[in-house]
Amino acid sequence: MNEEKSISWNKLQEKWLTRRTLIRGAAGTAAGAGLLLGSGLRSAAFADEEDEGKHNKCKALARPIPHITTPPGQHFFFPGPPDGSAPPAGFDPSTITDFKGVVANADLIFGGTGTDLNTGVGTAYTFHTDWRFFKGTFVAIDRLEHKGTLTFI
Amino acid sequence: MPEGTGEVDLDDGTAEFHAENICAVFDAFTVGNSLSPNRPLGFVSGRIDSVDIKWSGVTKNFLGIHDATNHFMGDFFQIGNVTIAVTATTPKSTGHGFRFVSDPATTTVNYAQIGSERNGVFFS
Repeated sequence: MNEEKSISWNKLQEKWLTRRTLIRGAAGTAAGAGLLLGSGLRSAAFADEEDEGKHNKCKALARPIPHITTPPGQHFFFPGPPDGSAPPAGFDPSTITDFKGVVANADLIFGGTGTDLNTGVGTAYTFHTDWRFFKGTFVAIDRLEHKGTLTFI
Repeated sequence: MPEGTGEVDLDDGTAEFHAENICAVFDAFTVGNSLSPNRPLGFVSGRIDSVDIKWSGVTKNFLGIHDATNHFMGDFFQIGNVTIAVTATTPKSTGHGFRFVSDPATTTVNYAQIGSERNGVFFS
């Protein structure tokens, strides 16, 4: 592997680590009984809307809420009423802090068909997801206000 | 996410989320892998080909929530009806090769809500 490739590989690893850190720190995870591609599918929350590119070329990275749910030790509340009537679930549905805007979250169980792309064999699967999105203004780790839509899978 | 991905109408008690080609998501294979920081996450290998989620039907209002402990405030509306249509794929190139296509009619809601809120530095 030449130096250029090494540098690229290092950058790629750094990107993965950054994303992983973000997921651990900010995005949290779905909970429940998914299988392959079930609740194992996780995506970080990035903004990408009207002011993207005005501040810089990189996506604005939101900060997580301070609260840590243990287990699993991540910055989110499990879905529930915001008035704290079902602790430890509920409270703030947002997983990002320094945020003002609208939110929607859904803790869902649903069925479907999973197909092995190698054999073509399909099997019924049950999927459990905690999916949320946040649309509005947030102060990112660059300490600037950004507008955008972020999602939590 | 691109502009227009998510919309919330608090007056109507509805919300929608639509996205396509959400790439570079983790396929952790099991719930345990996904939740535990002591297990490997694996590589970024999956993608969500498309997802549509629709919220409707307010069942309970939580107006004027002001939580000084967790530093958030807002108006929230518990939602009774949600459907999700999602297709997700782990490409064959990863050595696995799997696609999940949901049946929206099977959606069961454990808990869902929409709302407007302020937290962190915007909390007062």
